[in-house]
Amino acid sequence: MSSPDRDAPGRERWYESKRFRRFRRNPLAWAGVVILLFFAGLAVLAPALTADRLPRGCLRDLGLVRSEARTALRTPANPAFWRATFAPPASCYKIPRVSYSPVPKPPRAKYPLGIASGGYDIYYGIVWGARTSFYIGVLVVGIVLVIATVVGGLAGLFGGWLDNLLMRLVDVVYSIPGLVLAMVFASIFGRGLIKTMIAIALVAWPIYARMLRGNILQVKAQDYISAAHAVGAGHLRLFFKHILPNAIGPMIILASLDIGAIVITASTLAFLGLGADVGYADWGQMISFARSWISNPGGEPLKYWFVWFWPSMAIALFVLGWNLLGDAVRDALDPRSR
Amino acid sequence: MTTFIVRRLLQLPIVLLAISLLIFGMMQFLSPEQRAATYAKTEQQAKNLDLIIRQYNLDKGFVVQYTTWLKAVLRGDLGYSKQSHEPVLDTIRKKLPVSAELALYMFFPTLLFGVWMGTMAAIHRDRFVDQAVRVFAIVGWSLPTFVLAIWMLAVFYGYLKLFGIGRADDSIMVEFAKGTLKAYTGMITIDGILNGRWDVTYSALKRLVMPVATYTIVASAQIMRVLRSSMLDVLNSDYVRTARAKGLPERAVNLKHARRNAIIPVVTIAGLMFAFMLEGVFFIEIIFNIPGLGQWAVPAAIQLDFPAVIGIALLTGLVVSVANLAVDILYGIIDPRISFQ
Repeated sequence: MSSPDRDAPGRERWYESKRFRRFRRNPLAWAGVVILLFFAGLAVLAPALTADRLPRGCLRDLGLVRSEARTALRTPANPAFWRATFAPPASCYKIPRVSYSPVPKPPRAKYPLGIASGGYDIYYGIVWGARTSFYIGVLVVGIVLVIATVVGGLAGLFGGWLDNLLMRLVDVVYSIPGLVLAMVFASIFGRGLIKTMIAIALVAWPIYARMLRGNILQVKAQDYISAAHAVGAGHLRLFFKHILPNAIGPMIILASLDIGAIVITASTLAFLGLGADVGYADWGQMISFARSWISNPGGEPLKYWFVWFWPSMAIALFVLGWNLLGDAVRDALDPRSR
Repeated sequence: MTTFIVRRLLQLPIVLLAISLLIFGMMQFLSPEQRAATYAKTEQQAKNLDLIIRQYNLDKGFVVQYTTWLKAVLRGDLGYSKQSHEPVLDTIRKKLPVSAELALYMFFPTLLFGVWMGTMAAIHRDRFVDQAVRVFAIVGWSLPTFVLAIWMLAVFYGYLKLFGIGRADDSIMVEFAKGTLKAYTGMITIDGILNGRWDVTYSALKRLVMPVATYTIVASAQIMRVLRSSMLDVLNSDYVRTARAKGLPERAVNLKHARRNAIIPVVTIAGLMFAFMLEGVFFIEIIFNIPGLGQWAVPAAIQLDFPAVIGIALLTGLVVSVANLAVDILYGIIDPRISFQ
């Protein structure tokens, strides 16, 4: 059977669509894409970029010795390269410690971004921190989408008192400032990256649940739903085959573009000490350890600038990338905003 | 309109009840001992957790625990905060003016700056001013509050030594502590005037510059975005074209005809911003060393100082609900077409 789409005259492909053209012509969109590609590059190539300084535990878990790590992790023919790139052991996320000195050391040849208080290699933290940030963003969005789909779906499908109850729950969660609530959840759950991510997701879902519910109600009112109902489609079939797929799109797009905001929340929590374990490559935590070296350490202001500058710059740029992209997509989807 | 306000006010307790239920429910993930520890007021009590468990029914079911707590709250007892070593209500009473002062000084510059940027962007649509404003806004929006605060701290406090941190000069804070300066309102800028001491107000205002600038840069972006898009809508409408056609000067068309109608969505965002501002205030207080609610609430939340956490959650819930109510009332004043049902 030949695809009717391809033969139909005037049917435009997605890359020819007005929306995509509007997106493509927006220089800010491209700036966002470039920034995110840079961080994606850091994240994917992290093992290769840090092959000469991987912590001992990581090398052991990868089954490598230090002398051969450099070549092995930069040769795609070597299985260790693929293992390290796509399924690195957790020990690789630990920032290696050059020393145990509490005083930061300025950048030098082997440590181009300097050494933080406690002997942590800043370059390593920034590179692997990019991985952590993508990981946090993608996983939190995933959890948010699951919760929002269940809550918004139930509310939109059944309506009535259940809808009312769920939407009031949304109102309540929404009426407490998100960061404060996330802080409470995170401290109840305890320290750990996964626990923090669940805490953030528990705060971030309401707006998407409400959005999905609205879309479902909109789709439900369309003629083709009545038509499908009239031909005898059951409730569940109607919902899963006709309503949900047509209502869920905008929510998925907007939630994914929210990764910037999620990374802000995560880094703020980490800054306060609610996040990954100590020593984990996480930008927020790196800033929190830099705290006593910011304002006027030892009467020499800005002497230890590198301790807070690089991680804060990384967070700001990463979030900026997502926001530039998100803004451009929103503009493209909603012609009124241009 | 009165019935509308009364009905909304009646909904308030229900919202607060729901907030307390939510936080209380989350607390059930902790063991009775952990929860009991959060009630302990002294070293002595912390060793006798069984006593507290029995006193607060912590080993009983959720309903019993909750009603025990609720009865105390209705008597005006929000519990004792381990973090501040005093009853929660006393701490709130002491620290609220500090945060409120900060919030008030943050709110208006942010609003005005956002409105100004939005107007400029819309009038100069797609030209250089528009692009510059949009880039500025999106960069500001992308900075976590604590990151920008740290940059400010390093440059303006550490390097340039232009502004201090805290609320006012140490000598002034000592005078407040000794009582030679009276704290009538708890807001230093106002207390300075009430005491007839302009130097106090000046010192406090100077220390507000960094926090206010930080927040304005981070938060005005949202106002700008909303105003820009609603103003673009209005600028395309028929009556604006008519106003132009009858020869009104461009400035009058933009500001009198277009902006006045475009400002309505901004009121909604301003209400939302109020809620968002609370967290901004919290983190700004921590970094700029201002002893307000944030310096108490953030460590309290981390230490699971349970009475403090619920107190803060209820307070923020109250502020947000009242802000939303104020927004709805403002609608009617700004736009007579909206009627209260």
